Amino acid sequence: MFAKLKQQSFAGKASDGNPLTRLLNSKYMGWVGLGIALVAPLIIATNYALNIMTTALIFVLLAAGLNIVVGYCGLLDLGYVAFMAVGAYTAGIIAKSFELPLLFTVPAVMVMTILAGLIIGAPTLRLRSDYLAIVTLGFGEIIRITANNLTITGGPSGIYGIPGFSIGDLDLDQPVIFYYITAIVVSLLVLAAARLSKSRLGRAWRCIREDEDAAEAMGIHTYKVKLLAYIFGAVWGGLAGVLFAAHLSAVSPKSFVFLQSALILMAVVLGGMGNMKGVVVGAVFISLMPEIFRDLSEYRYVFFGLLLIVVMIIRPQGVWPTRNREPERMEDVMDAKIVQEARA
Amino acid sequence: MLQLIWDGLFVGSFYALIALGYSMVYGIIKLLNFAHGDLYMLGAFIGFTTLTAMGGVTASMSIVALLITMMVSMLLTGGMGVFIERVAYRPLRNSPRLAVLITAVGASFTLEYSVAAIAGPNPRVFPIRLESDTLNFFGARITIAQLVLVGIAILLMVALNAYITRSSVGRAMRAIALDPKGALLMGINVNSVIARTFFIGSALAGAAGVMAGAYYGKIEFLMGFVIGLKAFTAAVIGGIGNIKGAMLGGMLLGLLEAFGSHFLGGEWRDVFTFSVLILFLSLKPTGILGERVTERV
Amino acid sequence: MKRPKMLVISLVAATALTLTGCSGGLLGGGSSDEDGPIKFGMLAPLTGSEAAVGPFMKNGAQMAVDEINEAGGVLGRQIELDVQDEACDPVAAVAAANKVVSNGAVVSVGGYCSGATLPTLPVFEKANIPMLIPAANSEDLVNEGLKNVFMVNATGSQQADAAAKYIEKVGAKNVAIIDDTTSYSTDIAKATAELLKEKGVEVQSSSVTPGESDYSSAVNKALSITPDFIYWTGYFQEGGLILNQVRQAGYTNPYMVGDGSVSPTLIEIAGADVAEGALATMTQTPDTIKGAEDWIANYTEQFGSEPGPYSTQSYDAVRIAAHAIEEAGSTDGDKIIEALEAIDGFEIFSGPLKFTDRHTLSVGGFQILVVENGAFVLKDNLQ
Repeated sequence: MFAKLKQQSFAGKASDGNPLTRLLNSKYMGWVGLGIALVAPLIIATNYALNIMTTALIFVLLAAGLNIVVGYCGLLDLGYVAFMAVGAYTAGIIAKSFELPLLFTVPAVMVMTILAGLIIGAPTLRLRSDYLAIVTLGFGEIIRITANNLTITGGPSGIYGIPGFSIGDLDLDQPVIFYYITAIVVSLLVLAAARLSKSRLGRAWRCIREDEDAAEAMGIHTYKVKLLAYIFGAVWGGLAGVLFAAHLSAVSPKSFVFLQSALILMAVVLGGMGNMKGVVVGAVFISLMPEIFRDLSEYRYVFFGLLLIVVMIIRPQGVWPTRNREPERMEDVMDAKIVQEARA
Repeated sequence: MLQLIWDGLFVGSFYALIALGYSMVYGIIKLLNFAHGDLYMLGAFIGFTTLTAMGGVTASMSIVALLITMMVSMLLTGGMGVFIERVAYRPLRNSPRLAVLITAVGASFTLEYSVAAIAGPNPRVFPIRLESDTLNFFGARITIAQLVLVGIAILLMVALNAYITRSSVGRAMRAIALDPKGALLMGINVNSVIARTFFIGSALAGAAGVMAGAYYGKIEFLMGFVIGLKAFTAAVIGGIGNIKGAMLGGMLLGLLEAFGSHFLGGEWRDVFTFSVLILFLSLKPTGILGERVTERV
Repeated sequence: MKRPKMLVISLVAATALTLTGCSGGLLGGGSSDEDGPIKFGMLAPLTGSEAAVGPFMKNGAQMAVDEINEAGGVLGRQIELDVQDEACDPVAAVAAANKVVSNGAVVSVGGYCSGATLPTLPVFEKANIPMLIPAANSEDLVNEGLKNVFMVNATGSQQADAAAKYIEKVGAKNVAIIDDTTSYSTDIAKATAELLKEKGVEVQSSSVTPGESDYSSAVNKALSITPDFIYWTGYFQEGGLILNQVRQAGYTNPYMVGDGSVSPTLIEIAGADVAEGALATMTQTPDTIKGAEDWIANYTEQFGSEPGPYSTQSYDAVRIAAHAIEEAGSTDGDKIIEALEAIDGFEIFSGPLKFTDRHTLSVGGFQILVVENGAFVLKDNLQ
């Protein structure tokens, strides 16, 4: 039976039979994760714990969205939090000015984030990957500073007193209920993102990540496909923004600093780029770390930093890399260089 | 107007000094060393500690004390750069590119918050302050201290340029940047050259840190982050991987910012800076002096 | 095929059952402690960009707690201060607020960054915990009209009143106001600019990005109107740098800073000679109150450093909270709020305390300080 399981899990790839790896790659892990998420409040249900867990779930959603961009398509984005900002501000502004429950702002948020994805993606996706990184970082800063300076976004205080999800007398903003809503929304979106990787589009993304020129040669419209990855990532980020606005009831520029983007990226990479399960674990880990180290307040980021270095050195492909591909190697810059020159 | 240009160039020389380190490292091993800005911060704090340790001597011979401090800081910051490279980057040289980026962010966190834990999160005030007379140059105010600092910066940059173009190690660096495998086959000790690159880049950042501390007077543990981003931008504008490009990019960024914040208001300055950067990259993605790199067939 | 699944499910179930037995999950019940210490929650920035101020708040509050405990505590119970890091980040602040609430705080005496404090208001409101906010001072905090929110710090408009009053008094006609784009700073800057413009004073407003070193462009812009008065409304780090840089640029007229800049560090950063004569709008502080030298000496002895921004307000917040609990005779949120509203004439650093209907201080108590011999001393009480 185990042999069969192993065969299924590692189709097409010789691999170590490490029982832990085998367990982690079991296809039931997704359900187990959901199970843990659903059972957790039964174990600890203080508002503090619920708040932390809700934050962690929202973070999982962000990481899932960034995973589409970085993990599937291999585009380095250092300003991903900008999409969350667009979603949170759009939802907050509309909900507050029209006294609407946040649920009704979702269509507007989708439109705005798709627009944002197009605006950021269209001019920059032709750039080399390192430049793409700095440009996205720049866009992230532009969005944050603009939100800080404009009146419509509430300036530096941001928008507060945002109505939650509650519709009429139906109180959906109780921490427990809100937690479960978040859990369900996030699970669905994470599942959707995971399915995406198996779709035709997902294969095109992977193809681009592995070798863009070959992808182009195979007839993939690389620019359009890359843009699509960006737009999907943007929508996921925007929806996370809606949950974020509902969760905190306030949106302010301080939430969208570069550090946040860096943390999301860390979650994706730590977890294992491209592997949605790994990314979920990475996101939970990254978002719970500061809380676990909260009592060490001043030292927690030191540990955090050291831990990142150590983990990366021990498992450079991420704790839990995706299994259906060779990890993207820098293969001594050298080979890359040779290839590059051959192309030139 | 002249005032704006001068202020821009002055700030730009700091950007350039830090951008050099970014650019050298990137040029050779294609790594965005996120911790580089924090080495600048570390340099400032080492300078602070050295000056405090020297105590009374500083009052009477401030320039000499400052030069000694700068040497000490450059040595130690350079050493830290080498240490980071050895511990955090070298083991990952054959790993996915993003993994190295993550360790760089990890190194940056570690540096920032270690300094915060040791020296405290409060800003520290430098024991020596460069105060001097102000010259009036066609309506622009220029202090002698500014001239001295810009002089030191230019000196360091020229020396670096000479080192890279003339010395054998410099040739080795360029060789590795051009063709690492070929360089290895030609008997170049790639590891030692890379370590040396980190040393030089970090030492320059350390020097900039001491200069900033002595000129502005205030240092704090997060001072490296923003300037790190700016230097990164400067390096990209000039053409990342190119030494002269980094200098040019630093100066140019300083000027852009001076004019941007004058005409648009300080709160919009960074928006302006990054917009220009994006526009720039869309039109000329390799930077001003970057080599033409064609990625596509 | 079935074994791993079953195994996992039973494992999860077993863990769940064991854990629920001993802690307060949905299935278990929580119990509150009626005899132990009374908990005061405090959110302060201990990490992040504003980490420098957190210890000042924490120490100020701790000092009041120690004094009260030594004198027998409140309602016969000791006070315990529960300080959590808000990091000036909304997410961290909300988590910290929830933690404080979960830890059983009966009152909150913290809140520094307005942007991070705003999202914590609903958390404390739902738990019906009165908030005495010692540092955050954006008017947005009380604009929602939540009944549990009280501001121990004077508001931006009260400070702007004082600033405008003094600027008019010295007869300045050309004023440059510089802020640092935080809500605290822009609040004061905007309000001051409006008041001055009403009185026919020329005002030039500009902003800088906090956390940098070179403010030459802001300095140039301010000096381009040859101002006879400069007012900086941000914090001491940039305040000191800008003071130094305007003086370097040859500006000799008055330079005034807001209360967030009143710190010995400002004088250090600007340089003692340069800072001499700099003005500040500030609430009453131990430095300006007779007989408060003891307070400073105690503080310095206990914590090994001088008090800084918001030490006094945090100290007062704890004292006010303790007083209200004593008056209410209970730790029940509603009763404490009633007691807080009923306070009239309780002595705090900014003068006798009475809350307005909006739960702000009725007397801002602002006065003008000046740097003399390297320290801020009283210049004008604006009476």
